[in-house]
Amino acid sequence: MSLLERTHDGETKDPPSSSSYEFTHAAAKSAVAQICETVGYNHFKDPPLESLTGFAIQYILQLGKLAASFANLNGRSQCNVFDIVLALEDLSGNDNNAEGRGCSALRSVKLREIIDFVKVSDDGEEESLFLQTLPRFPVSDKGKKMMMMTVPSFVEVGESPPGKHIPLWLPAFPDPHTYKETPMWIERGLDPRGDKIEQARQRRKAERALLSLQRKLVCRISSGDGDRVWGDMDVGTVKEVIREAESEVPEDEKRDGVSVVEAFAPALEAARDVVFSEDDAEWKQKKKKKKKKKKKKPVALSKLRTEKKFLGEPLDLTLQMKGEDRSMSLREEDRDDKRRRAEFILRQCMENPVDLNQL
Amino acid sequence: MNHGQQSGEAKHEDDAVLTEFLGSLMDYTPTIPDDLVEHYLAKSGFQCPDVRLIRLVAVATQKFVADVASDALQHCKARPAPVVKDKKQQKDKRLILTMEDLSKALREVSASSGGFDPHLSIYGVNVKHPEYFADSP
Repeated sequence: MSLLERTHDGETKDPPSSSSYEFTHAAAKSAVAQICETVGYNHFKDPPLESLTGFAIQYILQLGKLAASFANLNGRSQCNVFDIVLALEDLSGNDNNAEGRGCSALRSVKLREIIDFVKVSDDGEEESLFLQTLPRFPVSDKGKKMMMMTVPSFVEVGESPPGKHIPLWLPAFPDPHTYKETPMWIERGLDPRGDKIEQARQRRKAERALLSLQRKLVCRISSGDGDRVWGDMDVGTVKEVIREAESEVPEDEKRDGVSVVEAFAPALEAARDVVFSEDDAEWKQKKKKKKKKKKKKPVALSKLRTEKKFLGEPLDLTLQMKGEDRSMSLREEDRDDKRRRAEFILRQCMENPVDLNQL
Repeated sequence: MNHGQQSGEAKHEDDAVLTEFLGSLMDYTPTIPDDLVEHYLAKSGFQCPDVRLIRLVAVATQKFVADVASDALQHCKARPAPVVKDKKQQKDKRLILTMEDLSKALREVSASSGGFDPHLSIYGVNVKHPEYFADSP
């Protein structure tokens, strides 16, 4: 068996255009040149060097192929030292085993020659290392675009394949959720109470924000206009109230409990104003109702109201009353009531004496 | 029995020598780098994680190349030196690897074959420089 026969096996060589061929061929050429230098050559012509490099590459390829086939013959996929020895014997073309000595590793002439060769070169310290450092090749192009295309292997993903018959270098299996329905995960435990508390807290936050916005708007109105509008009076009092409240109440509580009252105060006052302008007596009566709980007055007061419209002063007084401190307002309201009652009685008397006179 | 025992002992010796040799391989770094050899072996289907086997292949290849080169060198030295014009000039010092020497070395019949088959060349490679080209380059 000769090298020549093997090269005509019909194997396809590397096309010169492929990048790996160029790089490896150049590296092999420099290695062969170094070996020739140790033998004794100083200069080389390119054609013989190229052909010698080709021979060396073919030698390695043939060795590998033969060793692999010997391993496969014995039912193994990974090669042995004995496979290599057999391949060497095969390649050398010596008919050592023709005498039938039996195959043993060291009976191989080739191997002995190699051992001698190593000893000679080791002893002679003619060891010439490859002068250039080769990078680890082939360099994978996965980093750029192919990363998205290629499926990572089991080793890369870090999973162990299901079943010992599957090697690690094969692409990993797809995740089970891609091909079958898997149950949804409940990542956090149910906490209804906590959720409710959280909800309430968020609502309070929103309310606070809304109220503060209202307050700001109202403040702007009051500071902006100089006219004495109904709203102004109330706001002034409300402001004072708020200030009082704020001064009284400590900082911490201000936000939560009292703030609602404060914040709603302008709205409440505004509502009260509207009511007052129309049914001031009724409102007072209602307030009185809450305090004294008397029901007899509504009829009389309604009458009073209609009549009151003609009276300028008492109406003004009531308006002025609004402008004052709310803390005093209750007493003053009582006074107003008394005054009204007195006026009513006077009127009645004025009418009555007429009647009486008539009588 | 004796033969069997002897063969058994020989086997043990062989194994010991082999393991020793493989151990010595790690000390000696072949000229051909391991990566290159591994690349070509992988191409041909040789699969082995052991570095020593790769080094064995590298050493074998190195020996092969060294043998061929030394044969060619002998041919180069054996060639008669060119005419020396200057007397002080010594014999041919420029050892250049040429195609002729290489083809002779590759076709050489080694002495070990014992003339068994004169036409069987040791390397089995017929390398010859083409005398003329049929097509223009």
